[in-house]
Amino acid sequence: MARTDAVLDALARRESVAFGVEAGDVAVRLLGALIADVDSHRLSSVSITPST
Amino acid sequence: MTTCAIVAGIMPNVTEGRVADAATGVRLATRSDESDLRELTSLAVQGDRTAIESLLGHLRPMVVRYCRARLGRVSGHYHIADDVAQEVCIAVLSALPRYRDMGRPFASFVFGIASHKVADALRSSVRSAVPTQDLPDGPDDGPGPEETVVRYIEAEHARALLSRLPDNQRELLILRVVSGLSAEETGNVLGMSPGAVRVAQHRALTRLRQMAELESIA
Repeated sequence: MARTDAVLDALARRESVAFGVEAGDVAVRLLGALIADVDSHRLSSVSITPST
Repeated sequence: MTTCAIVAGIMPNVTEGRVADAATGVRLATRSDESDLRELTSLAVQGDRTAIESLLGHLRPMVVRYCRARLGRVSGHYHIADDVAQEVCIAVLSALPRYRDMGRPFASFVFGIASHKVADALRSSVRSAVPTQDLPDGPDDGPGPEETVVRYIEAEHARALLSRLPDNQRELLILRVVSGLSAEETGNVLGMSPGAVRVAQHRALTRLRQMAELESIA
């Protein structure tokens, strides 16, 4: 459980976990891919205008 | 002055950056001393514009990540998720004058609103309007097409597996890993002790792993 917490902490801090046992962990790899996708895709332009 | 006018004046300008650019902001939000954030929230509730701007600057990247992870892309873009994230920020600003510190961190208030907004968006059937992206002015420094496709497929796979987890496990993993909250902060949002979060996140990750492995065998 402590190991899981450390791995999730590293993912949350956007640190690499591509080493050791976690390198072959499919769940960690998929979460890493989701993070990379969510983080790197450009934010769409959003304008906020008062409703009329 | 309307809420929208206030928002337009203070909303942090991160529209042309990547969420990753705001990683420092996330770390500040998640790792800073809780009493500092509480003081910042208190000033923001009193209408201090600088405090409101700073508070939103901390919270918005986490909200964007949360909405993107929950809602995914539509036609390859995050427009819907980003719009919902913006709605969350506006709702937070609107509710700010009425916010009362009841001992729980402000983030739990924000993610409570975010959770409802995401649920509303998922229920909504009006998800067909997809705005086109502006043409870039210069070369794109992002990953190439192959890497983009691989990442997209894996991210969608992760999202599909997460959607099959029980609600509490999915919410926990997204807040903890994608939004970047600590175990303590995740517990505050979900009403769990840090210890209970650590147990639950271990179970959630194990379940996610089992589902992924089963799929690879099938």
